[in-house]
Amino acid sequence: MDEKQLVAKAQAGDFEAFAKLIEANKQKVYAFVRRLTANTEDAEDILQDSFLKAIDKIDQFRGEASFGTWLSSIALNEARVLYARKKQFDLKPIEDYLPGAGSHGDDQQDSIRLFDWQDPQSQLESDELRRTVNGAVDKLPYKYREVFVLRYIEELSVKEVARLTKQTVASTKSRILRAPLALRDMLSSTFEERYGKKVS
Amino acid sequence: MARKCPEYIENLSDYLDGGIDPELCAEIEAHLGECNNCRIMVDTLRQTVTLCREGKPETLPASLEKKLTGLLRERWRQKFGK
Repeated sequence: MDEKQLVAKAQAGDFEAFAKLIEANKQKVYAFVRRLTANTEDAEDILQDSFLKAIDKIDQFRGEASFGTWLSSIALNEARVLYARKKQFDLKPIEDYLPGAGSHGDDQQDSIRLFDWQDPQSQLESDELRRTVNGAVDKLPYKYREVFVLRYIEELSVKEVARLTKQTVASTKSRILRAPLALRDMLSSTFEERYGKKVS
Repeated sequence: MARKCPEYIENLSDYLDGGIDPELCAEIEAHLGECNNCRIMVDTLRQTVTLCREGKPETLPASLEKKLTGLLRERWRQKFGK
């Protein structure tokens, strides 16, 4: 039975059909929510509430996107409600990630070099690398982690990210760039400790 | 060239995504050939995104999975009466 048929049966009140739809999507939605929330407790609460909301709203599902995408959009709204109540710090402006940021002369700018890390896989064990990368993503403030996950993990277009996060395209683009710039900064610090001195 | 770096960085997201005007793309690439810092920035930004994409997703805890089935069935019963 394909997804369309399962949805029709679920909308007619067949729990087993709904359970199959959840079964097919729960792992992917959980991975998405866990990335968004950066902690297991919030991820579990949001997943649970999202699936319960999906039951409440099952009649409203029109099949314009896949059932999994619909579940993820419910989960995204739940996460946005939760994190809107939490205080968040802002990342630095884009230009502050450049070497020499805050200085006023070219001499000062030229005296600072970025750390050039290459092939981190060969430097760190895969488990440690995974922990390091996931830990860095988890440290991003929610509003940046959200756009980063949507754009680079879920691979949505910038316009789609803007629509889902209710931001202008320009503001979304800025957040999308600042997120990996901050991550790059955090990873550079870790790799620099491992590799030794800054390249200059 | 260093004083122009922020202007290039502003466009890096589009550049990395490949969705940039060809003229600006050529200009950025010319700049990357001359500016070591911007070249490092672009290389390591690409690696950052790749590393994050390769990260193993978290798996659904078994305890939650067990709890979910009961909760969903109960809500379903409340909504549909069966």
